[in-house]
Amino acid sequence: MSLLSSFLEHLEAIGTGLKYLFFSKRMTVRYPEVVIELRPGYRGMIRWHKERCICCSMCARICPAAAIRMYRIPGEKKMRPGINYQRCIFCGFCVDICPTDALECTTTHDVAFEKLEDMVYPPDKFDREWVSPALEEGARKLKVEFDEEWGLKHVPE
Amino acid sequence: MAGGGNGFFSWKELTSPVSGEKVYELFIGPQHPASGHMRFIVRLDGDIIVDVEPDIGYVHRTMEKLSEGREYIKNIPLFERATIIDSNNITLGYVKALEKLLGVEPPPRAKYLRTILSEMNRIQSHLYGMGIAGIMLNHSTMFMWCFGDREIWIQLAEELTGARLTHSYSIPGGVRRDLPADFKERFEKAARYMERRLKDYDKIFFSNPMIRSRYEGVGVLDKDTAKRLGVVGPNLRASGVRYDARLLGDYGAYDELDFEVPTREEGDSLARLLQRVEEIKVSLSVIRQALEKLPEGPILADEYFKKLPPKLREKVLKTGRVKFPAIFATLRPPPGEAIARVEMARGEVFFHVVSDGSPKPYRVRVITPSFRNLVLLRYLPRGCRFMDLLAIYGSVDYFPPEADR
Amino acid sequence: MWLELIIRLLLSPYIFAPLIYPGLVTALAILLTLIWLERKFAAKVQLRYGPLYVAKQIGGAPQLLADAIRFMFQEVIVPRNADKVPFLLAPVLAMSLGILPIVFIPVAPGFAGILINFSLPAALALSALMPITIILMAWSANNKFTIHGGVREAFITIAYEIALFVSALSMSMLYSSLSLQDIVEKQALVPGILLNPLAALTFFVAMLMSAGKLPFDIAEGEQEIVAGPYTEYTGILYGLVMGAGYVQLYVSSLIFTELFLGGWHPLFEALGELYPPLGGIALFLKTYLVLAFAVFLRCVYGRYRIDHALRIGWRRLIPLSILALLLSLGLRFVGVVV
Repeated sequence: MSLLSSFLEHLEAIGTGLKYLFFSKRMTVRYPEVVIELRPGYRGMIRWHKERCICCSMCARICPAAAIRMYRIPGEKKMRPGINYQRCIFCGFCVDICPTDALECTTTHDVAFEKLEDMVYPPDKFDREWVSPALEEGARKLKVEFDEEWGLKHVPE
Repeated sequence: MAGGGNGFFSWKELTSPVSGEKVYELFIGPQHPASGHMRFIVRLDGDIIVDVEPDIGYVHRTMEKLSEGREYIKNIPLFERATIIDSNNITLGYVKALEKLLGVEPPPRAKYLRTILSEMNRIQSHLYGMGIAGIMLNHSTMFMWCFGDREIWIQLAEELTGARLTHSYSIPGGVRRDLPADFKERFEKAARYMERRLKDYDKIFFSNPMIRSRYEGVGVLDKDTAKRLGVVGPNLRASGVRYDARLLGDYGAYDELDFEVPTREEGDSLARLLQRVEEIKVSLSVIRQALEKLPEGPILADEYFKKLPPKLREKVLKTGRVKFPAIFATLRPPPGEAIARVEMARGEVFFHVVSDGSPKPYRVRVITPSFRNLVLLRYLPRGCRFMDLLAIYGSVDYFPPEADR
Repeated sequence: MWLELIIRLLLSPYIFAPLIYPGLVTALAILLTLIWLERKFAAKVQLRYGPLYVAKQIGGAPQLLADAIRFMFQEVIVPRNADKVPFLLAPVLAMSLGILPIVFIPVAPGFAGILINFSLPAALALSALMPITIILMAWSANNKFTIHGGVREAFITIAYEIALFVSALSMSMLYSSLSLQDIVEKQALVPGILLNPLAALTFFVAMLMSAGKLPFDIAEGEQEIVAGPYTEYTGILYGLVMGAGYVQLYVSSLIFTELFLGGWHPLFEALGELYPPLGGIALFLKTYLVLAFAVFLRCVYGRYRIDHALRIGWRRLIPLSILALLLSLGLRFVGVVV
């Protein structure tokens, strides 16, 4: 009888819910007490190595968002790149086109700025390390592992 | 309401409509818990819908006009943001048209890699659609589960391309990065998890009698109407028409892989949702086959690869990350036009690129699948009850940013 | 001497039951913890954490207290076209009528606000008054969405009330008494749910429909009509209307526990000597379990369409409840219960 079969299907749905209520592991992490360590190759903030740069300006020419622009530095013949993070879309084209690997992608992505003006980096400030503010305050690092039963597992390093 | 202020109303005055109108208008506007980025102007007679007028354009970002002011390579991230959840499929349409204009053919390994990422995006986009269908019925568990399971696929895509959603992976001539070494094992675990999860979805959502009663027989689209209205994607295949742009065989590695495009006959909302579940399973098998049959070789076309200096060529072969040749910043395809059709998760996208020999395109025309499926939101809910409007909206999987570009 | 008089007054059943247990204070405590529990259940099933940050060590339990304090400081906006007096009065009426049936419900032998011989129909009748205030809310807000929600509430009310009453009356027919105290005392050995599970099922489903809990939260259909009759309410009025639904659920759960789960049995005699409601603490625990299950169903279900819900009410619940009535008659006839 269809009433009985639909009652059993209701019970099956409720049973699945109860199974997840008692025996399930959460998939989310409590940032900023923990931080997920990203694999190298993640397209995070851009780092510029001044000593490798040959001032070819290919990065400024290919940037789709016009975030990198060349600045004229007093005392130098050629122009140097500076970046404006208000516009950067982290596509990584500039990193891919730089012929000397002067630009590289770091794995830091959760940098916060307090003023809009802080997001513009002329060449004298562009050459710097990026540190995540959560890590500075002592967050634990976790790595992402795949798991057949629970999907993503976050294990300490 | 009814006129007079002179004492007692008569029974007839109280119960007859004021101006003879029975139909009232509701604006399910953009500021509504479940309307998405669009507005429905719904005219209701009691609880029955008389007419629905979708009012779109709230997310129009003038992408086609913007593309005329940027060089060809810069338009790849631009068009990607039309449907950011399905990014490789929509960029592939643009890149394919561009490759036809330039006369470049990507190497076989690049085609396989593009296929793998396209299918991963398809799975992730179908999960998005199913999640939205769940929350439209206030089934928050389906919503959270689907979006949580998307994380698996987004994580895999991040390991392949470096970014979670904004891949920008395909470039004219090939792809940007090679497969990481441990990708295959991680994918296997993810695929087995997904298959296990689809069973749980079935128990709590698709076989739930409550959900079935909301979706069965609601918004039926029969085969002839589907063909006449010109809908695309899983909505078309759930009405019995076997049309899929992957079967055209002119992009990716689909002509060398063995896969079945599923269809369903009923054409109601439940069929559309179950069609998406079937397509997820097909995508899993396609990725498995592609990983098995992946050929060795370069990932960028030779024509561009030899423009790099020799030191960079060695570095590319060692690290597996492609360096762009300097010509990418000023690609000048010869004057002409090219079209490309790619199967996105929601249907077929159509790109038409017109070039006049300069570094910036003369005109790019995009017809996205959600724009073609929009007519369903006007046609299907007529005669249904008010709550069916949202059930139909969830099952059609209309994505406003994609339709508005 | 004055102090002793005041304390004796406070502890007498006429003041203690409606005010502290199972009355206002307990209802408030249950409101504060039950909504938190609902969100935590939903979060656990959905593989996430839920409310966490208010007091991290205890898992964010005072979250609702923070919400209530926030509501009290929020601006109460009255729409210009709304009918002001009913608009402001209806939530207060809803909460008061929702909590009024508690005066009739006993929590220990001989301990109730008003101890009468027909407490079951009295409590049920008072709880049937609350939907009228919701329709008043909907009408006074003068908004197409709210009127739509009000009409839905009117339809749903008529569908479930009959099933609710007939299921409850089938239990009173089984135990041949209209007084809740007698019904509980006759369940000393066997709880009512084992004798008449059909009545328990129909009462439970009708209870969900009355409180507007998933899968029957049709009146406040958030996806279609933006919170239905409650759309225009902000601030403390919003807190009141959201709480009124849970209070209705609480009252119905108390009646459910006393009809089907044995009420305050096993009675803790030793504690009962000290002060009667302490002996009936089992009632509170069982009611809380029923409430927890009712809010857990939110994780499993979506929302029924209005005509399906009405069909369930008229075509399934009412015949099943009449069958439960016949089952009770059969049990009386056979002599299982005297």
